Amino acid sequence: MTTGALIFARNNEHIDYVAMARWSARNIERHLGIPTHIVTDDSTPATNARHFTDVGAVTWHNLNRMDAYGSTPWDRTLVLDADYIVASNQLQSVLEADQDFLAHRWAYDVTGCNTFEGLNSFGNNRMPMWWATVMMFRKSKPAELIFDSMKMIRDNWAHYRKLYKNTNATYRNDHALSIALGIVNGHTLDHAGIPWALASLTPGHKLTQIDQDRYRVDFVNSENKSRWIELHQDFHAMGKQQLGAIVANPC
Amino acid sequence: MNTDELVAHGRSRFEHAAARRTLKEKYQAKLTFAHAGGMWSAGPELLATLSACTGPESVILDLYETPIKVTPNEFRDLVRNHWQEQMNAWLVEYEELNKNR
Repeated sequence: MTTGALIFARNNEHIDYVAMARWSARNIERHLGIPTHIVTDDSTPATNARHFTDVGAVTWHNLNRMDAYGSTPWDRTLVLDADYIVASNQLQSVLEADQDFLAHRWAYDVTGCNTFEGLNSFGNNRMPMWWATVMMFRKSKPAELIFDSMKMIRDNWAHYRKLYKNTNATYRNDHALSIALGIVNGHTLDHAGIPWALASLTPGHKLTQIDQDRYRVDFVNSENKSRWIELHQDFHAMGKQQLGAIVANPC
Repeated sequence: MNTDELVAHGRSRFEHAAARRTLKEKYQAKLTFAHAGGMWSAGPELLATLSACTGPESVILDLYETPIKVTPNEFRDLVRNHWQEQMNAWLVEYEELNKNR
């Protein structure tokens, strides 16, 4: 059985996602010992737009994530966001799991400054949200159905947005994945997930690299005091600009 | 009562609790590992389950509630080592956290 990672990376006005993906591929090779396939272009129109606090409004090329099933050359695939930093072999256990599809159910802020209460669910009915940042799937009927459902949801976003009372007009892969998992699993909310929470760093904090796999986060806490923590673990760097700077000048 | 002192103390406690929670999240991830096709969290509960298994092979439920056949003696050593390795690392970070406080 072949195993590898897949990263979707399309640059926009401000962010060089391809450079991020290449840098990430080297980290993946070092820690997980698997090759990475980078999807850099496709025919999907870039119709999505999103506002990031660090770079402002950008064109967001995120509409093709559900093509992962058809795009992957591997039997078992780890789909990662380009801004997910692999700094350990933690995901090895996910690759060894006897499951068709896995994703994170929970995310948390590594600084403890923000509660992700609102981000771990979506819509007025507070549907549980599954994060599309890290997904593991193996070629199988259930996985194929999940990605096909995501495509159906994307193509009929106005309908699903209304159905799930989603106040957010912008299409998000996380929302489509959450809805797709519900459909495929008979609306039981009984989906196998990655059994730990997704470590996340919001864009408001300063991220710098200390050495190859150690990072420093400077932030201001609720007491308005400057604090810093060191990260030596995998995490989702939501601040694209700072990650871009690290990728441009890595340790 | 000095309310400024009270507020400062409350905030400090909040920050410390948040840092402890974050540390727990980190080590919950590190305590998770795959073995024999199952996903496990190294800790006292799994060790106790394995101690209850007497035969050369036993079937126990993994984190996904999937029955997995394991060799208890061999697996117990693996779990114990992984558990203590991560707990030691957790202790180092926890002490650092208290020192910074």
